[in-house]
Amino acid sequence: MKVSLTCKKAVDLISKKEEGKITLWQRFQLWNHFVECSLCKLFNLQNKSIVDSLPRLKNEPEELLSANEKKEIVDFSIQAK
Amino acid sequence: MQSEKEFTTWVEDYSDILFGYLLKHGLPKEIARDILQETFLAAWRNMDSFRAEASVKNWLFVILKNKITDHYRKLANKVSENSIDLDTVGEHFFDNSDHWNKGAYPQNFKGNFESPVETKEFYKLLRTCGNRLKEIQNAVFSMKYIEGLSSEEICKELNISSSNYWVLIHRAKLQLRACLQKNWMEIQDL
Repeated sequence: MKVSLTCKKAVDLISKKEEGKITLWQRFQLWNHFVECSLCKLFNLQNKSIVDSLPRLKNEPEELLSANEKKEIVDFSIQAK
Repeated sequence: MQSEKEFTTWVEDYSDILFGYLLKHGLPKEIARDILQETFLAAWRNMDSFRAEASVKNWLFVILKNKITDHYRKLANKVSENSIDLDTVGEHFFDNSDHWNKGAYPQNFKGNFESPVETKEFYKLLRTCGNRLKEIQNAVFSMKYIEGLSSEEICKELNISSSNYWVLIHRAKLQLRACLQKNWMEIQDL
């Protein structure tokens, strides 16, 4: 079986890895690709940092509606009935 | 008049939390506003049937989630009409021999988003880049990585196939990283 990967395939596997959908052999292929390709290696690290930081967006302060926007919701609903 | 007063209280008490939920699901603001309006309109029209229910908040969330599902179904139909081509996932990123296009080379971010000073700026940018994705991509992406839903749950909620899910999320990741690289550098260069 061929060990080497194209960059496109390697990036595919990086995403599949996150979904828990790669085989041990594919893991090895990826590892092997990172040794020779600094671009994909960097992509992998950055992708991981981004994905890891995303859940923190959940704790961002809520965006609040203005009193006027709330009034519009009420007025529109009552008039539309 | 009594019901109008009660309805106004519902809007005052729950519109912010419902709106926040919509935004965290990756819906653009204008669409979130429309869905919020439709939700309250449905609540107002069906106020009589609510009486027997236990919690206003839960009831409003049931309506809201139905509206979100309707919205995504419409979007998902558009996706299958334009059927997603697996081969075009990385078209701008890779050349004919499937290596990185020179213009798309991953480069080091100049900013360090682990440092507290820059974190706030990074998250602002992350939101901006997220909003530049196609709506359905942003929905899949937010549900997966912000809400932490499983791929099965997302496919069910959006009514998309698992291969479409895969293409959407993969493409979103490539685009988001590229957007961060480009803009994070611009911020640092200012």
